[in-house]
Amino acid sequence: MKRDLLDSCGGGGGGGGGGKGEEGSSMVSAKGKMWDDGQQQDAGMDELLAVLGYNVRSSDMVDVAQKLEQLEMVMGNAQEDGISHLSSGTVHYNPSDLSGWVQSMLTELNPPSSAFASSSQQTPIDDPLLAPSESSTITTLDFSGSRQQSEHQSRIYNDNSDYDLSAIPGFAVYRRPDQQGDGEKSSKRMKTASSSSSSSTQQVQGNGLASVAESTRPVVVVDSQETGVRLVHTLMACADAVQQDNMKLADALVKHIGLLAASQAGAMRKVATYFAEALARRIYRIYPQDSLESSYSDILQMHFYEACPYLKFAHFTANQAILEAFAGANRVHVIDFGLKQGMQWPALMQALALRPGGPPAFRLTGIGPPQPDNTDALQQVGWKLAQLAETIGVEFEFRGFVANSLADLEPTMLQIRPPEVEAVAVNSVLELHRLLARPGAIEKVLSSIKAMKPKIVTVVEQEASHNGPVFLDRFTEALHYYSNLFDSLEGCGVSPPSSQDLMMSEIYLGRQICNVVACEGAERVERHETLSQWRSRMGSAGFDPVHLGSNAFKQASMLLALFAGGDGYRVEENNGCLMLGWHTRPLIATSAWQLNSNFNSTSTSASTSALTQ
Amino acid sequence: MAGSNEVNLSESKRVVPLNTWILISNFKLAYNLLRRPDGTFNRHLAEFLDRKVPANANPVEGVFSFDVIIDRSTSLLSRIYRPATGEEALPSIMELEKPVTGDIVPVILFFHGGSFAHSSANSAIYDTLCRRLVGICKAVVVSVNYRRAPENPYPCAYDDGWAALKWVNSRPWLKSEEDSKVHIYMVGDSSGGNIVHNVAVKAVESGIEVLGNILLNPMFGGQERTESEKRLDGKYFVTIQDRDWYWRAFLPEGEDRDHAACNPFGPNGKSLVGMKFPKSLVVVAGLDLVQDWQLAYVEGLKKAGQEVKHLYLDKATIGFYLLPNNDHFYTVMDEISNFVSSNC
Repeated sequence: MKRDLLDSCGGGGGGGGGGKGEEGSSMVSAKGKMWDDGQQQDAGMDELLAVLGYNVRSSDMVDVAQKLEQLEMVMGNAQEDGISHLSSGTVHYNPSDLSGWVQSMLTELNPPSSAFASSSQQTPIDDPLLAPSESSTITTLDFSGSRQQSEHQSRIYNDNSDYDLSAIPGFAVYRRPDQQGDGEKSSKRMKTASSSSSSSTQQVQGNGLASVAESTRPVVVVDSQETGVRLVHTLMACADAVQQDNMKLADALVKHIGLLAASQAGAMRKVATYFAEALARRIYRIYPQDSLESSYSDILQMHFYEACPYLKFAHFTANQAILEAFAGANRVHVIDFGLKQGMQWPALMQALALRPGGPPAFRLTGIGPPQPDNTDALQQVGWKLAQLAETIGVEFEFRGFVANSLADLEPTMLQIRPPEVEAVAVNSVLELHRLLARPGAIEKVLSSIKAMKPKIVTVVEQEASHNGPVFLDRFTEALHYYSNLFDSLEGCGVSPPSSQDLMMSEIYLGRQICNVVACEGAERVERHETLSQWRSRMGSAGFDPVHLGSNAFKQASMLLALFAGGDGYRVEENNGCLMLGWHTRPLIATSAWQLNSNFNSTSTSASTSALTQ
Repeated sequence: MAGSNEVNLSESKRVVPLNTWILISNFKLAYNLLRRPDGTFNRHLAEFLDRKVPANANPVEGVFSFDVIIDRSTSLLSRIYRPATGEEALPSIMELEKPVTGDIVPVILFFHGGSFAHSSANSAIYDTLCRRLVGICKAVVVSVNYRRAPENPYPCAYDDGWAALKWVNSRPWLKSEEDSKVHIYMVGDSSGGNIVHNVAVKAVESGIEVLGNILLNPMFGGQERTESEKRLDGKYFVTIQDRDWYWRAFLPEGEDRDHAACNPFGPNGKSLVGMKFPKSLVVVAGLDLVQDWQLAYVEGLKKAGQEVKHLYLDKATIGFYLLPNNDHFYTVMDEISNFVSSNC
C-alpha cells in the first residue's frame, strides 16, 4: 500500500517504506530503487535528503547525526556571544554538504589546538577538518576582549560593516605584530568536491566533451495579461512555423506579431519586438552583420552595467573569489579574457590596496578584439587603470593582447611567471560561451587556462539554455530568459535607470536576442549554457570547484538592495556557486575553479585535499 | 538546559527515522544561529542556507511547475504546480495556464511553514511537499511566497494570503468545468496553518467560498504556558523560547501572545458563531509542544458550531510530513486526499 501511495505521489521521494528508528535510512539505500540519472549524485547518497537539497552519504548518516548532537551541546553551552559569531563572522560554504557544514561549525567552536601550525611560509593548509577561511571587513576589525581565546582571535571577525561599494572586503593576510610565531592566518577552506546540481542529466563523453541535456526549465511568468498571452502564443507559433520550415506561415505570423506588440505595454512589447525582428531576419535570411565596432558594443555593455545589477554582481562575486585566492601572495596576475572598459578592476585594486600588510604587486593582462581603426583600446584602458593604481599606491603592470578569439591565445605569449612567484587568476565574464560556436575552441581554451597554472579561475555566464540543438527549444528558452531580463529592467523604485542607460541596455540585449534567434553556425556566438552544463565541462577538463561563501552572498545581496526593483532581484547559492536572478529565475551565475589536485605541482596549495563525496 | 541535553537528544532520536532527525536537527541548529536575541534576524544567512529549487516547466514524475508574479508592488510570487496531462511531453508556455480539465478540479492554496520567518515557496522541502499534494489530491497547487517576519510582521502574511486567494479565485483557467467556479482548499503547515485560518475568516467575510481548510501542526499560541509546552519544552526540536521569539517577531509591537493572530479563540479572539466557515482538518503531532493550543483551536471551532476533523498523531514530531519515511506521513496523506475529494 505504501509503495503504491509513494508511486502516486508527485515528485520527490525515494524508497523507504516507512520504518522508524535509525534503520530507516539504511532501508532506503538498500532498496536499490531505480533513480533518475539526473537525480543520482554519487552512489550511496541518502535519496530522501538529496531531494531536499542535502547531500549526505548513507554511510555518513550516523556520523553526521553525532556531529549534530555535539554541535547542539557546544552551542547550548556557549554563551550568546559565543555562538553569535557563527552567524555574523564566520563564512559558511556549501550548505548542501551537510557533513562539511556541521564539521566546520564544530571546528569554529572547538578548534583542535594543532590546527595552527606556525610556519614561516604563507602556505594555506587545505585540510578538510580545519575551519573554513573567514572573510572579514578589512576596514573594521573587532578585537574586543569578549572574544575567544587569543590564539584564535585573528580568525574570528565581526563582519558588521556596511557594504562599501568602493572597497571589497575580503580575506586579508593579517599579521599581528604581537602574536607569537607567524601571525598569518592560514586560509583553510572547507573544500568539498561538490556533486553537480541535480537538475540536469549529464553524460560526459570520453574525450572530455560534456554533452548535457538540460532537464530543468525554470519559468517565471511575468505577464499574465490576455494580450501578453496572445503575443507569446503568436511568437511561439511563428517560431514553430520556422522550425517546420513553413516560411509562408511564419511570414504571416511575424507581421501579426508586430500588430499585437504595438498594443502591448512595457517589457513585453519590447521583448516581442526584438524577437519578431530576429524571426523576420531568419525568415528573410537577412542576417545581422556583426559590423558593429567592438567599441560600440563595449559602450552598450557599459550602459547595461549601469542600468541593472547583473554585471556588477558578476564583477563583485568574481572579485571576491579572486581576492580570497590571492591571500598571502606578494605578486598577483589577473588575466581578463574580455577587458572591455576594465570596469571590473578598480574595485579589486582598491581592495588589494587596503589589505593590511600592504598590497601585492598587481599585474593585469587584458584581452580584447582587434579595433577596426587600429586604435589601441586595450592600452587606453590599461593606462587609466595605471593612473588609478598610482593614486592608491599599488604597483601595477599592464599588458594588452589583441585576439580575434580566445582560442588564438597561446599561454606562452602571456609570459606567465611561476606560481611560487606570482599567483594567477583567470577571469572570464560572459566570454566562454562564444567559444562554443567553433568546434574544438572551448577545449583549446580550457587547456590553455590549465597551462597558465592559475590559482583561481572565475567564470561568469548567463544562466540559460540557449545552445540546444532544436531551434524551437532555443527560441522558447530565450523568450523566457529575455522576458525576465527586460522585466527586471522595468523596475522602478529606489533609483530607476536613466532612460539612456535603459535604451542602450535594451539594444544590448536585443543584439543578443537577434544572434540567438537569427544566426547559425559560427555566426551564432550567444551560445549560453547553464551552470550545470559549465560545471560538467569544467569538471571534465580537470578543474575543481572553489566555493563562494556566505560573505560573498551577503554582500551581493546588500549590493542589490541599492538597486531599483531591489525586491525582485535575488541571490541564490547553488552548490558553492552564486546566481543572481529576477524573482525565482536565475539569470547569471558565477562559479570559481582551481586546478584539480592532480595538476598541482609545487603550487602553494600543494596539500589540497578535497573532501571526496 | 545544558545538563538535560543528552536525555533530550536521545529521546527525539528514538521517535523519528535517522534522516528525519538529521533534517530537523539541522534546521533547528541553523535557525538558532539566525535568531538574534535583540529580535533581529540574519536574513542573508537564512537565504544562503535555505535549500531552494527552481520551478520546472518540464514534468518530473507527472508534475510541472512555474512561478507567477501575483502582485508586483509587494513582489508577491506564487509557485503553481500542475499535473502533466501526458498529451504534451513538455508543456510549452501555452500549456502553463491552459484551462484545467475535469468536472471538479480542486485547487489547493498552500502556505508553507517556517514560523512566519523561515522558508519560501521555492524551498526544497515545500516544493517537494506541494508536488506530492498534486498527485495525492489530483489538484492544482498554488504555493504562496508570502512576506515574512520580522521584516514584514503582522498583517503582511495575511494580506499576501488574501491577495493570493483573490487571484486564484479569479483565474478563468482554474475553474472546474462542472460549475465554472474555482474549487478552493487551503492547506498550510506551522505558520502556514495559522495563515489558512486567518485568510479563511477574511474569505467568509468577503463572500469567497473556500471548500476546506487543512492545518498541519498549525502555529498558535497564547500568553499562558500550557501543560504541553511545559512538558515538551526542548524535547523534540522545539523550545518555548524559540516560539516566543517568532511571536515577538510577527506580532505588532507591544502586543502579547493573546493577540487574535496568535490566539484566535483567546480573550481577543473573534467569534465564528454563525459564520459559514470552511470545514477543517486539523492535524496535531503528539510530540509538538504547542499541541494544547492546537487542541484549543479545534475546540474553539467546535464550540462555534463549525465542522472540524481532528487528527491526533501520537508519536509524531514537527516536520513528520516532510519525508515519506514514517507511518504518520502516509496516514496524513490519506486523510488529506479524502478530505479534498469528499466534496460538499
